[in-house]
Amino acid sequence: MDTKAAKIWEENAVPRHRIQWCPGCGDFGVLAALKQALAELEIVPHELLLVGGIGCSGQIRNYLNGNAFHGTHGGALAYALGAKMANPHLKVICLAGDGDTFAIGIENFVHVCRRDPDIVLLVMNNGVYGLTKGQDSPTAGLGREVEVWSEEHPPAVDPVLLALASEATFVAQSFSGDVKHTARMIAEAIQHPGFAFVNDFSPCVTYNKFNTYEWFREHVAYVPPDHDPTDKDAAYRLVREFAREGKVPLGVIYRNPRRHAAAHRLPMWEEELAEVNLEPILQTFR
Amino acid sequence: MQASRLKLLVGGVQLRDGVSTLTDILGRIFTRAGLHVIAMEKGYASTIYGAHQYDPMLVSAEPPLSYGDPVYDILVALEYDSNPDAPEQPNRDTVLRHGHHLRDGGILLYDASTGEIPTQALEARGVRVFPLPARKIAQGELRREIVKNVVMAGALFRLMEFDPELVYLRALVEERFARKGRDVVELNMRAAQRGREGIEEILREKGYTLDLRLEPQPREKRAVYISGNECLGIGAIQGGVRFYAGYPITPASSILEFMDQWLPRYGGRALQGQNERESIRAAIGASLAGVRAMVGSSGPGISLKVEEFGVIGATETPVVVVDAQRAGPSTGMPTRPEQGDLNLLIGGTHGDIPRIVLAPSTIEECYTLMLEACELADKYQCPVFFLTDLSLSEGKKTVLEDLFRRRVEVRRHGVLREAEVRGRTYRRYEITPSGISPRVFPGTPGAIFKASGAEHDEFGFVTIEPRKRTAMMDKRMRKLETYLREDAKGPYVFGETRGQPVLVGWGSTRPILQEAREILLRRGIPAALVHFTYVYPLPRHLVEPLFADAGPVVVVEQNYTGQFADLLQRELVIRTRRVLKYDGVPMHPTEVADAVQVALERGEEAVVRITSAVPVKVEVGRNGHEGG
Repeated sequence: MDTKAAKIWEENAVPRHRIQWCPGCGDFGVLAALKQALAELEIVPHELLLVGGIGCSGQIRNYLNGNAFHGTHGGALAYALGAKMANPHLKVICLAGDGDTFAIGIENFVHVCRRDPDIVLLVMNNGVYGLTKGQDSPTAGLGREVEVWSEEHPPAVDPVLLALASEATFVAQSFSGDVKHTARMIAEAIQHPGFAFVNDFSPCVTYNKFNTYEWFREHVAYVPPDHDPTDKDAAYRLVREFAREGKVPLGVIYRNPRRHAAAHRLPMWEEELAEVNLEPILQTFR
Repeated sequence: MQASRLKLLVGGVQLRDGVSTLTDILGRIFTRAGLHVIAMEKGYASTIYGAHQYDPMLVSAEPPLSYGDPVYDILVALEYDSNPDAPEQPNRDTVLRHGHHLRDGGILLYDASTGEIPTQALEARGVRVFPLPARKIAQGELRREIVKNVVMAGALFRLMEFDPELVYLRALVEERFARKGRDVVELNMRAAQRGREGIEEILREKGYTLDLRLEPQPREKRAVYISGNECLGIGAIQGGVRFYAGYPITPASSILEFMDQWLPRYGGRALQGQNERESIRAAIGASLAGVRAMVGSSGPGISLKVEEFGVIGATETPVVVVDAQRAGPSTGMPTRPEQGDLNLLIGGTHGDIPRIVLAPSTIEECYTLMLEACELADKYQCPVFFLTDLSLSEGKKTVLEDLFRRRVEVRRHGVLREAEVRGRTYRRYEITPSGISPRVFPGTPGAIFKASGAEHDEFGFVTIEPRKRTAMMDKRMRKLETYLREDAKGPYVFGETRGQPVLVGWGSTRPILQEAREILLRRGIPAALVHFTYVYPLPRHLVEPLFADAGPVVVVEQNYTGQFADLLQRELVIRTRRVLKYDGVPMHPTEVADAVQVALERGEEAVVRITSAVPVKVEVGRNGHEGG
C-alpha cells in the first residue's frame, strides 16, 4: 500500500486519539487490513460511515478517518440499516464484537441478514467480553473439547452457519494474523452488493488463553479454490467438512447477490421538502 | 324538530357485527353533509373477534367543543345472537351495557333477527324501540349477509330523517363498490331502502312519531373525517419527515400503516421494525444520514426504546418519538386511553439528556403541533416526544381542510454544507453559547464527524476528562435554556386565574376540561382552566405568573398518581389537588365538574378518583331485570 493513501486514513484520527488496545491485540491486524482495503478501493473518507459497536472492537471507528457513529451495545447494524436506507450513496461499515453481534445484538444480526442492505459487518471475534475483563461471549470455546455441558456454558455459536441460516448473501471468514487475507475479505465484502458479513478471528491476548494466535495458526485453513461460493449446499458442506477435520475455514464461504429494488437518497434538503401536495391524502378522508 | 346536536352509540360483537364499519360510513356521510362529527370514545377490546365493541358518536350542526357526556339520543345494537360475554342474553349486550345511558324519550334500534328482547323498562322512560331484523333481511331477501350494516344505516337515516333520497349514501356506495360492478352498488342501495322500509313498518305498527331531523348544513369549506394518527402522519410528511419506523402496537400501528401507504409517494420510506429497538435505531441512523426521522409506539414499546433516548440525547441526533399512550402498566389495557407515560418520557434514560415533550390537545393539533415537533427536533438535536393517547390516536373527527394549509417552512437548522466547512476544522460537538453545535451529514466533502454515545470531546472522541465532560454536559443541557427562551410556549388559559380555582390539564383532555369549566361556571364556580401542550420542560417564566395569586389548583389527568401534578408541584413549588381517572374510559365533562367540586370542598391536597358508570355491565339473570 502506498504511504500517501495510507496517510489519508490516519487523518482525523491519529494522533488525536491514542489507540487503547493491549499490545498484540488482534484488532491491530483488523485496523491495518481495513485501511488497506479502503485505500485499495479508493474510497474517500467523507463518504464512509463507520458504525462502531460497544467493546474494544468498536473503538476502531476512532482509529481511522471517516465519519463514525457509536450508540448502544448490539445496535450497530440497526443504525447502519437506517443510514443506508436514507442515503444509499454512503459506504457503511459496521465494526462490532462477537458479544455485541451474537448476544445482545443477535436480534439485529438475524434480521439484517434477511433484509440484505448494502452494508458491511466486520466482526472482530475473540470469544470474550474483553472490556469487562474476560467473560465468555457466545463464540467462547471454539474448538474446545467438552464432555459435559451446562446451561451456564453452552456450545459456541457458529457465526457462519447462523448467517447462512439467516439468508445472508455474503459470508466470509478471516484471521487478523493474516492481514493481507483479511484486507482482501474486507475489500470483497465492500464490493458485494448487499449485506456482507466478515467474521474475523482477532485474538484477545489478555483474556482468551485458549483461542490464541498459535491456536488459530494451527487450526485455520483456506477455502479451496474449487469451492463454488454461489452454491449454498456447498457452503454448508464446506463448513461441516472443515469441522470434521478440526479446521476453521478462511475465505469467501458464500456469495450470492440478491436482486434489489432501486434505492435513492431520501429527500432531506429544504428545497426537496418545500413542495408538498397533500391533496392525494386528503382525498381519501373526504 | 330539527336536531342540532345528536349523540348516538353503536354497539355489537367485535369484527363480526361491523360496528366501526357502520360508524365510519356514518362519520363520512355526516361530514360530507356539512355536519360535525366527533367519535373519540372508542370502546373496543384487545382481541380480534368476539368481545363487546361500542363506538359513541356526536353529530352536530355547529362544531362541538368536546364529545360531551355519555348520554345518548340513539342506541344501535348490532348483535344478533348470544355474546360470549353474556351467553344467556341473546342480542342484548349493547342494551344491557348502555341502555341506562339512553336518554328518556330516546331511540333504540336493534337487530331483532334472533327475536325480540324485553325493553319494558326503557319504554317506560319513553324510549321508542325499533326491533329490525337486519341480518335476516340481508341473508334472506338480499342473499348477502354482508349488507346488514347498510340495512342498519338506511334504518338509522330514516330515524334521523336524514338523506331521504339516499343521495349521500349512494355517492359513498358508488365510490366504494363501483369497481365491483353495478349489481353490488344496487344491492347496497336496496339494502338501505329495506332498512328505511323496516322503520316505516314499525312506525305504522307502533304509532310512533319521530322528532329528530338531522339537516345537512351548507358548508363552503371542505372537510375530512380523520383520526389523530392520520393527522399527525400528515403533519410529519408536511414537516419534512421522510423516514418512519415502527413495530406493530396498539394504538400506534395505524401510524405505521399510514406511513407505509403514503411516505413512498413523497420520496420517503417506512420501515416495520423487527422489534421496538430496531425501529428507533434505524430512525437514528436515518437521521444521522440527514433525513428527518420519526418513530411511533405506545407505552410497552416506548419502555423498550428508552435505551436509545440516551443515544439520541448524547449523540445529538434528532428523532421525533410518538407515544400513543394506552393504559399501563405492563400490557395494561391496550385498547384503553390513559395519560400514564409522562414520567417515563420526562425521566426515562440513565443520566441526563435534553428533551422536549409536547402533547397535542385535539386531533387538529396532532397536525399543527407535529409541524413544531419536527422543527424543534431538528433545531435542538434532541428527542422530541409527541405524547398522544388512544382517544386522539384512534378517535375520529370532522376537520376542516383549511387546517392543512397551515405550514411551517422546513428549515434544516444548523446544518453545514460543503461550502461552509471547506477550509475550517470541523468539530461535531463544538461548544457554543446556545448549546447547539452545527451538524454535517456524512458525504459532505471537507468534513468528518465522529458521533458517539460515550462521553466525548468537541471532535466526538471518547473522553473521561472531568473538564471536558463538564463542558460537554453543560453544552448539551444548555440547549434547553435556549429552547425555553426561544421556542417554548405557555399553556392555554381560559378565564382569570387570580384568586379563582384553577383547573389544570395537559394533552388530549382540553375540550373535556373546557366543557367541565363551563359546567362549573353555570354552577356559580368561577373556575379558570390552564391547559398544557408544551409539557416539558415547563416554561417557568410563562407559567409562574399564572399561579402566583391563583386560588386552589386542581390538576385533572388520566393516571393513578397525578404525574403532571407532580411535575407542576416540583417546578412551581405549589400545592395541587388532583382529580384522577384511570379506569380506561375517557373523561366526560360532568363527572369532571363533579369531581372538581368535591376536590375544592375537600381542601388542600385532596385526591378525587373518578370511576365511570359506563361501560360496566349491569349484571342480570335470565328472569331478572332487563336492560335500561
